[in-house]
Amino acid sequence: MKGKKRITTVLYHVLVFGFGLLMLYPLFWMFMSSFKESGTIFTTASQIIPDKFIITNYFNGWKGFAGISFSTFFKNSLFISIVATAGTLASSALVAYGFSRCQFRGKKILFAAMLASMMLPGQILMVPQYLWYQKLGWVGGFLPLIVPYCFAIQGFFVYLMMNFINGIPRDLDEAAKIDGCSYYGIFARIILPLMSPAIITGGIFSFMWRWDDFMSALLYINDAEKYPVSLALKLFADPGSSSDYGAMFAMATLSLVPIVIIFFVFQRYLVDGIATSGLKG
Amino acid sequence: MENFEKDKEEEKLKSRKVKRMLALAVTGAVCVSALGACGSSSDSGKSESTESSDSGESSGGYGDLVMAWWGNQVRNEKTQEALDKYKELNGVSVEGQFYQWNDYWSKMATAAAGNSMPDLIQMDYSYIEQYVDNGQLLDLTPYMESGALDVSNIPENVLAMGEVGDGNYGIAAGVSGNCLFYNKTVTDELGITMTDNMSFDEFVEIAKQITEETGYRANVLSQNNYFTEWSRAEGIPIVEAKLPVASADEYTPFYQIMEDSIKDGWQLTPDYIDTTAVETDPLVYGSSPETMAWCTINGTSNQLTAFQSAAPEGTEIAVTTIPTTDTITSNYLKPALYFSISADTEDPDAAVALLDYLINSEDANGILLGERGVPASTSIADYIYDLVSETEQKSFAYVTDVITPNCSPINPPDPTGMSELTDTMKKVAEKIGYGEATAAEAAQEVYDKGIELWGE
Amino acid sequence: MRSDSKLYKFLNKEKSAGVIFCLPFIIGFIAFLIVPMGISLYYSFCDYDILSPPEFIGLDNYIKMFTGDEVFWRSFKATLYFALVSVPLRLVFALIVAMILVKPTKLTGFYRAAYYLPSIIGGSVAVAVLWKRMFAPDGVVNALLGVIGIDTKFAWLGSTKTAIWTLIILAVWQFGSSMLIFLSALKQIPKDLYEAAEVDGAGKVTKFFRVTLPLLTPTIFFNLVMQMINGFLAFTQSLIITQGKPMDSTLFYAVYMYQQSFNYNSAGYASAMAWTMLLFIGLLTLILFKTKRFWVYDQE
Repeated sequence: MKGKKRITTVLYHVLVFGFGLLMLYPLFWMFMSSFKESGTIFTTASQIIPDKFIITNYFNGWKGFAGISFSTFFKNSLFISIVATAGTLASSALVAYGFSRCQFRGKKILFAAMLASMMLPGQILMVPQYLWYQKLGWVGGFLPLIVPYCFAIQGFFVYLMMNFINGIPRDLDEAAKIDGCSYYGIFARIILPLMSPAIITGGIFSFMWRWDDFMSALLYINDAEKYPVSLALKLFADPGSSSDYGAMFAMATLSLVPIVIIFFVFQRYLVDGIATSGLKG
Repeated sequence: MENFEKDKEEEKLKSRKVKRMLALAVTGAVCVSALGACGSSSDSGKSESTESSDSGESSGGYGDLVMAWWGNQVRNEKTQEALDKYKELNGVSVEGQFYQWNDYWSKMATAAAGNSMPDLIQMDYSYIEQYVDNGQLLDLTPYMESGALDVSNIPENVLAMGEVGDGNYGIAAGVSGNCLFYNKTVTDELGITMTDNMSFDEFVEIAKQITEETGYRANVLSQNNYFTEWSRAEGIPIVEAKLPVASADEYTPFYQIMEDSIKDGWQLTPDYIDTTAVETDPLVYGSSPETMAWCTINGTSNQLTAFQSAAPEGTEIAVTTIPTTDTITSNYLKPALYFSISADTEDPDAAVALLDYLINSEDANGILLGERGVPASTSIADYIYDLVSETEQKSFAYVTDVITPNCSPINPPDPTGMSELTDTMKKVAEKIGYGEATAAEAAQEVYDKGIELWGE
Repeated sequence: MRSDSKLYKFLNKEKSAGVIFCLPFIIGFIAFLIVPMGISLYYSFCDYDILSPPEFIGLDNYIKMFTGDEVFWRSFKATLYFALVSVPLRLVFALIVAMILVKPTKLTGFYRAAYYLPSIIGGSVAVAVLWKRMFAPDGVVNALLGVIGIDTKFAWLGSTKTAIWTLIILAVWQFGSSMLIFLSALKQIPKDLYEAAEVDGAGKVTKFFRVTLPLLTPTIFFNLVMQMINGFLAFTQSLIITQGKPMDSTLFYAVYMYQQSFNYNSAGYASAMAWTMLLFIGLLTLILFKTKRFWVYDQE
């Protein structure tokens, strides 16, 4: 019996590990390519280990463009992503609670509006949005990349958290209400702590999406010193002339580091699972 | 000063918004302080340069002027260096904005919609007409007449490239020629010499021979580039928003060439063609002759260096004219790209002065080194010839010695709707490549699209 | 604040509390979404090329779309195919992997990262280069086929039959975000429910169908709706990897719309396409919401 269990465990690890490697292969390819000589990346595409490990790509890439190095781009990206994520999470949590726990007139319409706003292809809003932000005098700065997110305009996060709050038994609210707790108190003291897995999940996504977003940076940022990493990465590849793919892969690899760190730090909380305890109702 | 005010206003707006964010006190604090810190740091970095006039407003930048371009790392580096030099010489600072090709056009379109284009912009032959049509570019004629923009060293035919309607809206930032790139290592091995101004029939014979003996195929017909050459040679180029032919039949011979080339096996099939980057072009990329091309017309002569550096070691890429039935008619010089001035600029004189510097100054071109193509000014072209690499010299020589004596004027810039017609042509070429359409069907589809776009 | 004051009572009424909590979205919607959306709706009835002012032309754009544009239909079909195949595959994968990885072992952190990381490289230039190289005639896919004895120089991206599958595989490969959502939902299922089921003598399978699956249905529903919207609006992969080739077989709706807007100077037409898509997805979502009561476990 014990032997059988051990075999299952080993089998589990072999399978999950093996398949995980397959999943990671393309990333590994990119990582390895960043150590190849730029000119050989395409010619040796099917060979994963470089003939000669070089790290010059990292230096060439890091020096950036026209005297602006990647340290500037990283700083900009970190700033935008962190603030916008904080804004998204805080505002979405509030709205999600409102949608999930309160009945009020117009709720259905509001919810429908939220979903509908997600169904319009973003590319079509580029010009109207630009004109609007220009009216507000925001073009050229970080504001259009941050402020809207502090107002829960991404339905995804609201819906994600709503779903989670729906899963928290209502008896908890009722009990607190009897104890004289207001809606605001219930949100702050009961719901907010219990929904931390949703907040963490949302945080990982939001950070990643803000980090990867280059479209709004392209439209609203003019000064090259304010470019985020996502926009800077695109500058390596020019279809009409030589492109430094080695440097691009090197910087693309580095650009994953913050997301990976965030993931590793926060995924632990998904293991510990706060929601599982104290839910006896 | 104005920028400072603007910053302050932004600051106010920010904090007002932040207050509204209910329970977001903490986030808000981070937001405001961090934004503030960031704003001031970039301010102090630039403050020395904002002494003189202030025309950066239009694009929201901090510099006196703003110049935008697309390109690779080398171009970004060199152009910024030339702009820094300009500041050193004239005290006018210029902020550079650079983007990747596709992004550049999205950015320019939205900026144009908001009337906030940068002062000096890099322009392309395929876009210039629509920007002029919509009044987005500044007519340079008055400045040429007044001498503010010195064009005395620019040949007539090169100057004419910027003409759209009655005005002149762009100076070629580099001159290049349409051309055929080929793998000289392959032709040398077979003892074949590619002569300039070769006829199409001669070319087909060579192409067949090379495919037979090595397996390499040619890539001249797909991707639609050949259409321009062919239609010029046949005397039916598209020069305005109207098809120059009376029926689809006149296009059939072109697609017949294409169909035959696939049937006869000397043209590479489209499944092996990826022309999104120089590095993936089948001329230089591929593991075996069967998936590669020995020649291509996907590119212009200023890309010789790019192709050469993307080619595997030991492979020499060379350049010659595109074979047609009448090369003198089909050959033409083209602007690799233009420098244009936006109609949104608040200080046209300053922008023109910068343009003049980029075109006529030895200081600037000593840094730029013809990276955008052969300089329009002949004296500058002579000046930098000795400074550039050997490959670059070949590319220069092709323009000055091969094309220039044997060419006809370029077609007027693409009319509105051309990009859609071009895409249709590409798709049609693909269909033929896959054997999904006959020459007559292809010609009909292109003709119908032309009629749909421009009428009879 | 005194708990019997009028203001307190007003603020703590369910109706007002709901509105107050939703205030960020109400403000955000009015300030940042409604105006641009309204403008684009107006553009959809205009002849508009971005560079010059729009001109009202009524329903012409919509009429052209449905009657005179073959490419529109081709792009719609390609997108429909992509969405209908990739969305279910992605969800099934995400759910299975989440179920497997919910069990904590020493390596769980690493495993989760391995399965999640592919989705973080999103639609970058790097992934475009990588994907094209993998499916190139001399790429790793053909190399692997060579190992099992199939020697081929097939260009996967060059065939109308296989090109869209490379994009589907890319979409499925990036199932990480759905997986993460499933994981956090799995963690939310109260342990005592399992314990109760065990007391009733339920085995693993019964527990899955009686406890796990019903409690996961709201999350499955959520993922389904979100992925469906994403699937129909898929853009980057097609734009950077295939550009619609070969022969429009991978030309996604959003890419064609983008071309119309920025390459063909028909931003008005593109807006009409966008609003048509909104109606289409809206209708599908509505249908999904109507089916909800048949299969989604109601927590209320």
